[in-house]
Amino acid sequence: MEYLGLSLALFGAALAAALAGIGSAIGIGIAGGAAAGVMTEDPNKFGSCLILQALPGTQGIYGLLIAFFVLNKLGLLGGAGAVALNWNQGLQILASCLPIAVVGWYSAIWQGRTSAASIQMIGKKPEAMGKAIILPAMVETYAVLALLTSILMLMGVQVG
Amino acid sequence: MSYVYTVARLRGMENHILDTGFFSRLMDSAGIEDAVKALGETSYSQWITGNSGFDKAIDAEMLATCQELESFVPDKGLLDIFRLPYDFHNVKVLLKGLFKVRGGEPEGRRYDLLSKLGTINTDELTNAIETEEYSYLPYGLTDLIPQCWQLWEATKNAQAVELLIDHQMFKAMLKVAEDLKMPDIVQWVKFRIDAENLKSAIRLARMKYDSAKSLQFFHEGGTIRPDDMAKLLNEPQETWSRLLSHTDIGAVLSALQDSGDIKASLSEVSKAIDDYLIRVLEKAKYSMDDPANVMLYLLTKEAETRNMRVALVCVGSGLDREFGRRLLSNGR
Repeated sequence: MEYLGLSLALFGAALAAALAGIGSAIGIGIAGGAAAGVMTEDPNKFGSCLILQALPGTQGIYGLLIAFFVLNKLGLLGGAGAVALNWNQGLQILASCLPIAVVGWYSAIWQGRTSAASIQMIGKKPEAMGKAIILPAMVETYAVLALLTSILMLMGVQVG
Repeated sequence: MSYVYTVARLRGMENHILDTGFFSRLMDSAGIEDAVKALGETSYSQWITGNSGFDKAIDAEMLATCQELESFVPDKGLLDIFRLPYDFHNVKVLLKGLFKVRGGEPEGRRYDLLSKLGTINTDELTNAIETEEYSYLPYGLTDLIPQCWQLWEATKNAQAVELLIDHQMFKAMLKVAEDLKMPDIVQWVKFRIDAENLKSAIRLARMKYDSAKSLQFFHEGGTIRPDDMAKLLNEPQETWSRLLSHTDIGAVLSALQDSGDIKASLSEVSKAIDDYLIRVLEKAKYSMDDPANVMLYLLTKEAETRNMRVALVCVGSGLDREFGRRLLSNGR
């Protein structure tokens, strides 16, 4: 039971990085399929397609950010040694990681689908690039809100 | 390959589809030389040699489109549904030719009418029919062709044979669509059967057929039963749109009636129905991975080739340009 708190906290960090990362990989994969289709017909659209394909990648970065935040809070970065945590504190850190883990995973997939639709849009109407970026960016809002929630929750957890 | 890729690629290809504005301008060409010049910037130019052979060029363009789609569409069945009618057209051409040969016309064969757009290689199909080796033919042709021969021997009625072939064609289309397990495509095939039945009903009404005799002309499998289609013939044509108002295709008749064009020429009715068959698939445009987009693209391309034919015939033979413009499909 001595390390249960630490284990729970690390599990939270792992979930944040893994689920958000998986979501981003799927989202980028979906958008990539659409980008490949459009570029087969018009390779000059590479620049626009790349921007739209990259959008679902941010959730993976947010997940990684929260994982770093947790590791830093636990004292696992910098070689100073882990702080002592009881199971209750560990559970609080795990709970703090869940918003970005779950929302990041799910929103990245949907952002990928929206990006794919936007890529198809610029395949037909290249002049609509501005509008095409805004649509998937709307999905990003909820990933950012989840990131903020996770950060605020983590800042509220007292350790050490 | 996924449908996200497929649909994205189709979106790119849609940019090259020629719109009705282009065809309208094409029809303003002073002569066929000017029309060929106008085609120079389109994908048709690669198939055109000189100022003739446009039919072959148009078929070559459609065939190249089908072959390109075949390389990246995940379900070949979608293309088969589109190409299958050309197989049945080829069967009709070959059988009719043989009927003539056996009837004492040695030059009756019309290989020039065969279309390469079918899924079965025309040489193989010709060989199969001429050698009576049908066992490997798909779409129920193995059983159908002997039935056609029996019917021909018994009645010498080429129209009845054509009808038998058409019945099997729609049955085969429905079977391929059902095997794909794509409800929208199954629904589209049913609408296609309705459309064909409606065209037949309009034709029969103009020939003053009564409903009892006309039942054989309607195909099974649509959303409207052949019985109900036949019953239309007992009613004045002006009331058909009301009688079919509960069906999707009823809207086509309503539109013709609203424009006061219910007695329009058959080619114009055909155009309205072909446009309808594109329109019913248009909701797929709003999806990034709907397989129906493949069928929508093929139909739009087919409408383009139809428009090309109308425009070139008008320019080449000096037909009334206004009439030609009315026949242009609104594919894009």
